[in-house]
Amino acid sequence: MRTKFFTLAPVAVISAVLGLGLLAAQSPAIADDVTTTKQSDPMQFVNGSKTWANTCARCHNMRDPKSLRDDQWRAAIAHMRVRAHLTAKEARDVLVFLQQSN
Amino acid sequence: MNTTTRRGMIAWWLPGLAFLASPSLAQMHPERIAELEEQVSALTEQLGELSVELDEAKEAEGLGGLRKDVEANKVAIQATQSATTFTDATSVTHLSGYASADYVSVENGPSAFVANFNPMFHFLYENKILWEAELEVVVEENGETEIGLEYTTVDWFLNDNLTLIAGKFLSPIGNFRQNLHPSWINKLPSAPPGFGHDGAAPISEVGVQLRGVAPMGNSRLNYAFFLGNGPKIEGEDGEIHAIEAEGFASDPDDEKVFGGRVAFLPIPSLELAVSGATGDAAVVEDDGIDVEGDPKRGYQVLGFDASYQWNNLDLRGEYVKQEVDPNPLSIAPEGGVWETWYAQAAYKFADGKWEGVARYTDFQSPHADDTQEQLALGINYLITPSAFLKFGYESNKGEPGEITDADRWILQIAYGY
Repeated sequence: MRTKFFTLAPVAVISAVLGLGLLAAQSPAIADDVTTTKQSDPMQFVNGSKTWANTCARCHNMRDPKSLRDDQWRAAIAHMRVRAHLTAKEARDVLVFLQQSN
Repeated sequence: MNTTTRRGMIAWWLPGLAFLASPSLAQMHPERIAELEEQVSALTEQLGELSVELDEAKEAEGLGGLRKDVEANKVAIQATQSATTFTDATSVTHLSGYASADYVSVENGPSAFVANFNPMFHFLYENKILWEAELEVVVEENGETEIGLEYTTVDWFLNDNLTLIAGKFLSPIGNFRQNLHPSWINKLPSAPPGFGHDGAAPISEVGVQLRGVAPMGNSRLNYAFFLGNGPKIEGEDGEIHAIEAEGFASDPDDEKVFGGRVAFLPIPSLELAVSGATGDAAVVEDDGIDVEGDPKRGYQVLGFDASYQWNNLDLRGEYVKQEVDPNPLSIAPEGGVWETWYAQAAYKFADGKWEGVARYTDFQSPHADDTQEQLALGINYLITPSAFLKFGYESNKGEPGEITDADRWILQIAYGY
């Protein structure tokens, strides 16, 4: 009985969270407009700089925006979105900030 | 003879012919005059043709300029397209990682240089799917090179706040293993005792993970839940020697481990987290010999971690306890508890180019020769924001005569790329 509980309970929890997540997926993740950020809402730049300062420094030194190309920042920010629990909007704002600062 | 020259000659000829065609001459040589009139008529016609040719030539030159402009525009457009291809492509790749080289001097023991590097790969498709992986490449004491797979995951961004991760991933238990262990991030040249291999903190897991965030105004709740194969138990002399929690692609006890971490951030600079996992594990190796069919036993992990940043000050601490239950039917019937915690303070000075670090760790193991109490002090020079020259001194207290009791100092250069 205990065995079945330990097998089924985690599956049920993950399925529930996954289901809720899919139901909440009103729009694609991080939207599809993230690739070109050179002409974006100026507030994205401001918000991105704040998120960058608040989040990145929590674990490591902040890297120079010029250290990567625009396309490289896309992949790097996607990685950090997962690692640092960023929302899609936060990730997009940080990307705008970095791409416009490099 | 070009058009302009010919036109000039005609211009000189015409007045001459006109003179010759004057009335006095006409009276003297009527035949000659008729001849000249014919020539004038022919030349006038020729002049008209040349004028047309000249206008066409000018127009042609103008078209040539336009053609050049068009070609230049094409080149510019191609260059622009090449540049935007990097940002507009549906998939992008990125190679990153970190590397370090150390000089380690142990009290009453040999000193040595060591080196390793960890390449990381990121492949992103349309901001929907990310594959990421990290290798660990280490030069062993015998000179051989050991390559390990730190993690490899496919990350599916389900929505703006939730990601599904599948594969081998760094354990979400605590914070050090999943976020702080890379040499260019860790502020000291070594990991706190108990947070390395065969310690108290799980290293990695193979399974699935849901990772997300719940924003709450200025606060936020970060969470990660996972289901994986769980650890294996290594026996020695009828006892449990260690819990191997490094992510395996098999599950001898056939019971999955479920766990997670929930972190609350009331303000961006303060993070308070609790983590844990539960499941079953079994002895799979005893005295270096593979064991099959050993009965499973309960396995639990509990962790707390916190961090706070204020100006140039960085404070953090972490506690992890990992335990397995006893099972009288096993070849290693007793259970065991591995427990560790550390507290660390770091402060940047001299415009952030230098950093001082102090860390205290207490690692408790069922085996006295593994138990270790450590005070580590370090001074770092930041060559760049992601490259450090680190000097660390460790005052260690363990079982007398064991390596865990030997003090040591480490000089390390680390670079995150």
